Formats: sequence, C-alpha cells, structure tokens
Amino acid sequence: MGFIIVVLLVISALGADFLATHDPFRMAPRQRMLDPSAEHWLGTDQLGRDVYSRVIYGGRIALWVSLTAVSLSLIGGLILGMLAGYGPRWLDNLLVLVFDAVRSFPTIMFALAMVTLLGPSIPTIITVIVVASIPVYGRIVRIQTLSMKETEFVLAERALGAGPVRILFSHILPNVIGPLLILASMEIPVVITIEAGLSFLGLGVRPPTPTWGSILQDGYQYIRDTPWLVIAGGLPLILTTLGFTFLGEALRDAFDPKLNRH
Amino acid sequence: MAFDAFSRRNFLKTAAGAGLVATIPGTEVVAQGGLKILKSRCDQAIETIDPGWRLGTVDDNIMRSVWQGLISVVPGESWNWEKQLATEVVQETPTRIRFEMKKGVMWSGGFGEITAEDVKFSYERIANPDNKMAYRTDWEKLDRVEITGTHSGIIHLKAPFMPLWLSTLPAGSGLVLPKKAMESKGITKITTDPLAYSGPYRIKTMEPRRLIVLERNPDWKGERPAYDEIHYIVVLDANAAEIAYEAGELDMTHLPIASVARLQKKMPAKSKLVVKPSLAYWWLGMQMEDGPFKDIRVRQAVQYGLDVDMVLDAAFFGVATRSTGIIAPGLIGHRPKNQIEKPDVAKAKQLLAAAGFPNGFKTDIGVRNSAEFVNAAQAVAASLANIGIQADVRTFDTGAQKALAGDKGGKWKEMGLHIVRFSMQPDPSWATAWFVTEQIGEWNWERFSNPEFDKLHQSLTSELDEKKRDEGYRRMQDLMEASGAYVFLTHGVNALVHRDTVAPALSPDAQRQFWNRFKPA
Repeated sequence: MGFIIVVLLVISALGADFLATHDPFRMAPRQRMLDPSAEHWLGTDQLGRDVYSRVIYGGRIALWVSLTAVSLSLIGGLILGMLAGYGPRWLDNLLVLVFDAVRSFPTIMFALAMVTLLGPSIPTIITVIVVASIPVYGRIVRIQTLSMKETEFVLAERALGAGPVRILFSHILPNVIGPLLILASMEIPVVITIEAGLSFLGLGVRPPTPTWGSILQDGYQYIRDTPWLVIAGGLPLILTTLGFTFLGEALRDAFDPKLNRH
Repeated sequence: MAFDAFSRRNFLKTAAGAGLVATIPGTEVVAQGGLKILKSRCDQAIETIDPGWRLGTVDDNIMRSVWQGLISVVPGESWNWEKQLATEVVQETPTRIRFEMKKGVMWSGGFGEITAEDVKFSYERIANPDNKMAYRTDWEKLDRVEITGTHSGIIHLKAPFMPLWLSTLPAGSGLVLPKKAMESKGITKITTDPLAYSGPYRIKTMEPRRLIVLERNPDWKGERPAYDEIHYIVVLDANAAEIAYEAGELDMTHLPIASVARLQKKMPAKSKLVVKPSLAYWWLGMQMEDGPFKDIRVRQAVQYGLDVDMVLDAAFFGVATRSTGIIAPGLIGHRPKNQIEKPDVAKAKQLLAAAGFPNGFKTDIGVRNSAEFVNAAQAVAASLANIGIQADVRTFDTGAQKALAGDKGGKWKEMGLHIVRFSMQPDPSWATAWFVTEQIGEWNWERFSNPEFDKLHQSLTSELDEKKRDEGYRRMQDLMEASGAYVFLTHGVNALVHRDTVAPALSPDAQRQFWNRFKPA
C-alpha cells in the first residue's frame, strides 16, 4: 500500500508537466473559488488558478525538497557518525556534543530562526532540515560503528593491515546502511510536513510557486468561501505521510532481524 | 463583548473559538467582575506609541486614549475637530496660533499639572531636525512655541502651514506628552510605556505582540467612557480575526477588502458592517537606486506591463477601484487620471529590451504577510511574467519590512519591488510628506528624489490659495508617476464589522477608533 502511494507520488511529480491540466500559475480572477468540475478537477483557488495542477506541481516541490534534504542528511550523518564511532575519542566527544546541541532545539523553532535569518527559499529550507537531521542519522551510525569496530572480522581486517577508509567503507558501511535507509524513508514525510508547515506560515517556498503548504494556507484564508482548497492541500499531505510511513514500516519489518525473530 | 458573565456556555464558546485569542489569559477573570469590556482587534504588534515615531493607526488608537492634545478629531462623518486640553485656540495670523489651556488637568503618577511647558516640549521635539523623527514633517514649519503663561502660549510658525488644522494638531503629532516624566526618567523616545497619563484610559496590560488592555484612567475628568476596559487583541491574520469575531472573542474587527462582498451577502448574526471610502493608498513601488530598477526604462516597463485592473480584481475580488495617485477623491490635489491608463505589453517589452533586459530578469516583491498583500503580489508577479520579469513574493511583518527598506547597511537593495499601503490624514501634504528626499531611509522606500517635488511639498503646505494647492499636489503625483517608480493601485475601502450591541465612534474613514466615545447600543 505504502509502496503504491509512493510510486504514484513519484510518477505524478515527475510527470507533472504532462499530468497537469492547466498552467499552475495562470490566473483567472473571474473564475475564483470554483467547485470541482470537468474543467477544474479540484476547483480553482482565490486567484482563479487550477488547484489540481497546483497540487500536482506542489508534489514535485515536496518530493524534491524531501528527497534532497533526506539524502544530504543521510550522507552527512553517515560520514560524521562513522567518524565519531571510528575516530579518536576527542573527535567522538566533539561530534556528540555538536549532535546534542543541534538536537536540543525543537526542529520547527530552529527552522523558524534560520528562515528569519536567511530569508525563505528552497535552499534555506533544505539547509535547515539537513542541519537538523544530520544528528539523527549520525547518532545511529555512531552507535553501529562503535559496536562494529570491535567485531572479530573488523579486528582481523585491521590485523591484516587494512586502513580505516577501507574498513569504514568496505565493512562497516554495508552493515549500517540498511537501518539508515529505513529511517530515511520514515523521515521523508516528516520533512514534507516541515516544508508544508513553513510554507503555510509564509516562511517556506515563496509564492507563487505552488506547494501543499501554501495551498493549505489559501484554503485556511478562504475556508468560509470554499472547503475545496483545504481538502486539496491536506489530502496529498495525509496520503504522502501515510505512504512513506507504511513503506518505512514495511522496510523495517522486512530487514530488521530483531523484528523477524518475533 | 461586554457584560459577559462567566458561564459554562461562555467557557465552551471561548474554548471552541480561535485558539490565538482563546489563549489570552484574564478575559474570563475580567468578565467575572461584570466589567464592561470592549474587545477590538489590533492588526499589528505595537512597537512604539511615541507620536514622533508611531507606525500606524493601531499606535494612534492607543496614543489618543492615554494622552490628550490641544484639540482632537471628532468621530463622525466629516473631518472636524474639537477642543480637548485647550479652552481656546485662535489663529491670529497665518503664522501665529494662540492657545489657552484648561487648568487643573493633572498627569498621573504625581507629575503635576499639564501646562504650556508640556505643549512646547511635545511639539518642538518633533519639529527639531536633530531628533530626526519620522513625523517631523507634521511640524516642519514650526518655529517655536512661546510660553506666555502656565496655561497659555503661542505657536509660532516659520510660514503658514495648511495641514496644521487637519493633520497635525488634531492628530497624533498634536498630542501633549508628559515633559517632567520623560525628563526625570531620561527618556527621549517612548516605546510602549506612556510614563504618565492624561487621557480617558490608562494601560493595564501591555504585551505588544499579544494583548493590550486599557482601563479607565481614574484621574480623567472628562465624560466617563462607557467601557471599563478596552481589550486590544493582537490578531495579525485577518482570517483569524474574522473567525475570532464569529466565535464571539472580538466585538469588532477591521476586515480585508476581499471579505466585504461575502459579508454583504451573508452577515454574521447580530452584527453590523461599516464600509467607508478610504483615504489610504496602495501602490506598487520600485526602489530606483540599485539593480535593474535603476534604469528608468525598466521602471516604465513595469508601469506599462502591469495590468492593474487584473491585480485589483484578483486581490480585492472586484471591490476596489483603481486609484489615480496617492490623494483620494474629494481631497485637494486628487488627480482625475493616471498618465498611463492601460497596460501596453509590447511597449513594456520594448523598454526592457532597450534597457538591456530583452529576456527580463528575476526580482523580489516585498509585502506584508497578509492574504490581501500576498494575493496582490502574486497577481503583480503573474502580470509581470507577461513581460519576462520573474518576481518572487517575499513576505514580512510590517516592522521588518520597514527595517529592511530603511536599512543603512544597504539591505534595502534586496527588495526591488514592494506593495505598500499607507494610511492617510485629510490634508494632501500628509500623502506627499513620505516621498520627499529627506524621507529616504525612513518611509520613502523607492528612494525617490526630485528637487521640484521637494520644493512643491515645502511651498504647498504654506499655500493659502486652494486652487494652487490643488494644481501643485496634482503636479507632484505627476512627478511621482513620471519617475517610473510608482504604479498607483487603489485607495480601497475601510471595512469593519461590529456587534449590533456596540455603537462605535470612528473617524470619517472608519480607520481610527475613539474608544472613549464608544457606547453600548
């Protein structure tokens, strides 16, 4: 189920140019807030723009932001986590301190502060999410690395003269990447929600670029005129969150040996 | 609104209402006491209530409640004034105004009687160019205030000053401040603490971003206000304010123009809608000192390329009509038409190409973070896309946008375009005052500088001939438009919804609230 939803999301995002029925930026003020019809499948917004097309293009933004942010976080967390786990004690202490310091800020507060400082834009949002998420991955990789580096096959490899780079990337990385990918798939809906939340507050992707958060914000502003905008902005968020969560849980169930035992 | 008794129903209603308002503590506690409370929406955070530095109407509403002036605007249908601290104010010559003050009116906090010293202090501090106050133009022709007695004096002007009786003395810049209190505390700029009171209300609670509670000033000797307390509740978002109103958490709120049509069709129960022509003005401005907009051809391309009627239709749902300048119909200096009346996309593209931007460019539109402004900005962006200009919308809190536009370190360069709405007093000089060269870095966000404009602004405030004033102010708006830095959008309307149990006292344009004159209906 989760896989199907995610595949549909990816298809709609990649094929937005073909799937959208209208230009998502084209305004027709006289056709504002129309109910769903054959012409406008999800109706129109307060500026007369086709909501279905905006939702499709909004999915592209959501997917792009979330995949980019999660990938960069994963890579950053992987590298720093392995360095902390395998490197000298002082480096471990330093990195753990940094991880704890970053994690001590609630993500949304951290995001608000950074956006206020740097100004709202897609790169800013990605940067904020990456900085806030690296410690999540880093801590997991560190713990895995710490336990792996004392295993017999790593000790044997070291005795045979293998350098730290070879040990980390040939032996430790393959063993830690699995849980990390599961975590990443479950982080994607969180990132999408953060992006939508910031856009809802007017601190995310700048208008007129369509995002699910900004569609929700429009829906909120005009909820007494039409309920369709809120539904159109909220439904894909719910489905995507569910889809990625189901997918993550399925991956965890499939690959986590501890769960398999039960 | 007022007279709320604490009950289970009220509690449930409050809990179900807009969360923002419902979280404000004390409302139920106050209601328990059976006090008459008026709950009005404040649409921006309070930063200063200093008459020389005020940011907008909301500051003005508070200032006029806690202090008095020699004279004050009278709420109603026309722009009249009445004596307040003064018993007599006489314009003896065009440059000499004699005043006599009431005796025995005291400052709160033991700061003594209100005297002509306070008047002199209050007006001369704004006029003093060294203080560089934002509202110094209100007193730009003041020479000095001569004290002729404890309660009397003469305002000497350097030249006749026509706005004096419309926009200066009866408005915020005419308020009298507590000299002793300010000097004894070493304060030169008031933030949110009035220091001493002379008005009908005093501040009970001041949480500038959340809630301002005014309570009756026990030392007030004038007519007793009908409401014991005014709860001025900060609700930045207009939609949240409407929801709060419908949930019974506000007794009145100004509305976005786009809400008017809907409310005219279906009003909330037991409510009244007030819609008045506004004196305020909206425009699309371009900063003309940096980037592509430095070239007048680019600015003119925007003027020709922008479909203003589409923007107004999109942002204001067809309720607002296009303006012809910054001076509203009915006022001296109102222009009959714009120089550029219709969009001409081909000409706009030609101008852009001639300026070296045949494929357009990217820029930002800075706007206040509210639906009206964001919709207007998106409509502008859509319209400018037709000539190749790709504009992203950047939203700000009001104070943050002003800080950026006036940033001395050059951050103003970050905002190429902006959509702004300025409130207005009935004298035309109050519209032009913000666009003189001296206001660059303050309110002149376009950084427009024109010697003829500056000269006209100076001379027209002293011009006694109404026809010459009319021609002069029209010419000034011509100069603004000819600079390319302005596209005049609309004056809009001021819309306000209130409970039918409240009889509001508003300025003729329904912008300002005179809380001490509000009555239960």
